[in-house]
Amino acid sequence: MAKSPVRTVKHLLTRPIRLPRLTPYVPAPDDPTIFWFNSERDDIIREVTRRCVERHVHEQRPLEYVLNEVAHEEVKRLESQRDDEARDSLGFWRQTMRRVGRMSESEKKETLRLICERMSWDIAGNFDPRVYQFATRAVPPLLTGVMKPSALPEDLMTMASGTHVVDEMLRTEGNIEHLKHLAKRGTLVFVPTHSSNLDSIALGYALMREGLPPVVYGAGKNLFTNPIISFFMHNLGAYRVDRRIRAALYKDVLKTYSCVMIERGYHSLFFPGGTRSRSGMLERKLKLGLAGTAIEAFSRNRVRGIARPVFFVPTTINYGLVLEAETLVEDWLKEAGKARYIIEDDEFSQLDRWLAFFRRVAQMESACVIRFGRPLDPFGNRVDDDGGSLTPDGRVIDPGTYVQFRGVPTIEPRRDAEYTREMGQVLVGEYERDTVLMSTQIVAHALFRRLVRATPGVDLFGRLRHRGEVTVRRDDLAREVGQMRERLRDLASRGEVHLSELADRGDATTLIDRVFSAWNGYHRRTIVIEHDGQITAEDPTMLLYYQNRLVPYAERVAGEGDLAAAREIARLG
Amino acid sequence: MSTPIGVIGGGGFGVGLARAIARTGRNATLWSRRDGEVGERIEPTRELAALARCELIFVSVPSMHVAKVAEQLGQHLDGRHLLVHVSRGLVGEELRTVSRVLRELTPARRVGCLAGPISAKSIAEGVPGGGIVGTGFPEVADAVREAIAGPTLRLYQTEDVVGVEVSAALVGLLALAIGYAQEMGINPAALAILATRGMVETARIGVSLGAEDRTFAGVAGYGDLIAAIAGDGRPELELGRALGRGLTLQQAGEQAGAYIEGVTIARRVQRHAMRRGIEVPIIEALADALDGKLTPTGVIERLMSRRSKRE
Repeated sequence: MAKSPVRTVKHLLTRPIRLPRLTPYVPAPDDPTIFWFNSERDDIIREVTRRCVERHVHEQRPLEYVLNEVAHEEVKRLESQRDDEARDSLGFWRQTMRRVGRMSESEKKETLRLICERMSWDIAGNFDPRVYQFATRAVPPLLTGVMKPSALPEDLMTMASGTHVVDEMLRTEGNIEHLKHLAKRGTLVFVPTHSSNLDSIALGYALMREGLPPVVYGAGKNLFTNPIISFFMHNLGAYRVDRRIRAALYKDVLKTYSCVMIERGYHSLFFPGGTRSRSGMLERKLKLGLAGTAIEAFSRNRVRGIARPVFFVPTTINYGLVLEAETLVEDWLKEAGKARYIIEDDEFSQLDRWLAFFRRVAQMESACVIRFGRPLDPFGNRVDDDGGSLTPDGRVIDPGTYVQFRGVPTIEPRRDAEYTREMGQVLVGEYERDTVLMSTQIVAHALFRRLVRATPGVDLFGRLRHRGEVTVRRDDLAREVGQMRERLRDLASRGEVHLSELADRGDATTLIDRVFSAWNGYHRRTIVIEHDGQITAEDPTMLLYYQNRLVPYAERVAGEGDLAAAREIARLG
Repeated sequence: MSTPIGVIGGGGFGVGLARAIARTGRNATLWSRRDGEVGERIEPTRELAALARCELIFVSVPSMHVAKVAEQLGQHLDGRHLLVHVSRGLVGEELRTVSRVLRELTPARRVGCLAGPISAKSIAEGVPGGGIVGTGFPEVADAVREAIAGPTLRLYQTEDVVGVEVSAALVGLLALAIGYAQEMGINPAALAILATRGMVETARIGVSLGAEDRTFAGVAGYGDLIAAIAGDGRPELELGRALGRGLTLQQAGEQAGAYIEGVTIARRVQRHAMRRGIEVPIIEALADALDGKLTPTGVIERLMSRRSKRE
């Protein structure tokens, strides 16, 4: 049967779109490293392949085992996928499975090399400086067009010079000049919190706007199915991570790829939480995964005598409204987080939800606040203006000493794994201090705490069934929110958290109004109902999601009468 | 081997460690405020700066002094140094582990904890024994083994550092409870209940601080407790006995003859448990008894009158 034209177009759009190579871009000396990526790509893939093969050849585990595992996993995956990819490569994997027992050692090694090379090619991204330059100029007015069509004419007038709606919605905080300076001296590794698929887009845009260099990052392959996003992903340096591939070898190739990139000085971005926070809470247990390769890259460079520093930049991405909130929190409550690691049918993939979301947030100033924290060396030390690692007493020390044993730098995977684990703990603390609390989260916390107070000793699921049962007078809620904000201002003045500018401004009643209008304008579920000066908590689940951001601060923002409820909330974390 | 091994703290354990190092044929640099004969291959010093040339440094000071020492020591260290502490305590209201304090106040990251049924006496005299090194860094465990392990000392390793540190701190508290109960004439069955249920509470606290349950069933947990009950001369047990005889805390402390960390920790652990909603009836009764809110018979009555339930 012939393919329908629609399907053909869709099919074409999922392929990488590349601009024709009419005038190849010649990078200028002060362009960021990534502008050279295309000319280095073959070399990088060769290096990744070589390292992976070498590691497995020298390992205790026989090659036969490695090949068997990867072939078995791939056959299983492709058989259930039944798509073009399956048609193209299922035969190869079945044949490998059949033949591996009869292969000679050199045939096994060659097969492994072939597989690693294929995998690296599939992972490797692209970077097109022309797309980057186009994006810098065209994205703000384009997004403006989507979000607030009425503002478009004036936006086109001010293209690439004035401010856009996007710029009002997205606010950046932190010492950006410091980061710019460090980007010239070493490799930046951004490690942000993760709550939405919009994160990488928002952060990518923020870097561009602030004049920070572009970064490479791994994006889930599912994101490449949206043709427009795919176009930008492909051409702005994203590499593909296919989470459906379970074979250990694939993870190995992925990690090696990331390590080689950082060794070569490509600024990178990783979400150390691995996946979007389902609960809306700040990530508390970070495994870092790929981000750990930055530490390995540092050691490897040191062993080779290359002293280029690596700087981790803890970053928080804070939203007043979260695009996928409804799906995420349901997923968390089902405790199906593992089974549904890849959610493909959430709001991110629904165009009407995008539009509703952006129309809503376009009305909100600072709907998203990205806060860049203080940069750290790979061992959790703060760094000075020039990137020197600082001790607690303020001396500058050589970070290379951390990878030395008996005076010599060494490569020691178990040691680096432990440094990575500790970096995870350091980041948890940095996130907590660098979180910017939004009005929606504060109001949700006040309402949810009321619910907890009204249902002492009831478990979470029991509480969530109390729909529309907790009612509070508007004045009382305003007073409570006002008090909570005072305590938060106190914490903020001690550097324990940050308050968004909007949450800090105006009286509590206006703040509550803005929050209700934001919720009602976007979410399909009714979160609160207001009637006759009485406010009813209609949807405890959504309140829970938004208030979860305050879990680490619950006890610190509670008054005397709320302490017991606050403790119960704190235990959610 | 040319580089000496550092030891901070001139108490029984510190001197014991320095002697164990000397016995393996290495040189030790011992930082201490006290004077005294230390022995061959041990170089005493009063300058923390003298420890900078060591790679491995043992920290053997009571947990309440660790922060101050770490701050001063930290001024002489960098990423090369490996720190291993033997303190049996948890710091402050948040029950911070000593290794965490060392990581926060010094530039050293490769940190570990030496604990288990290892005692100052066994280590100094070289009688057969064993212990456990809690560290995530293989080179730290290797360095400790090279420094002090020998034909009479078996050293195990675990990556669950928090588990080892919580065990070390709370086994001291359980030893105190057991000394107290023994003085009250407790029978073996009741002693067993006290020990096992006490260890359950210890594990609960440990898990809430990030430890793994199984660590408490191993050398760091039961291993340590059995050595204490069997009478390895632990001061906490003596203190418990003295309290059981009705002495005041002050008098009991003097009689047991050592700084006892178990006393300050009971109430802090109980408050932590309350905040986190963790049940710790034994620790709570102990905290009350140590505060003078409960008499020895009151403790027994309160614990025995609790309703039995599934283990």
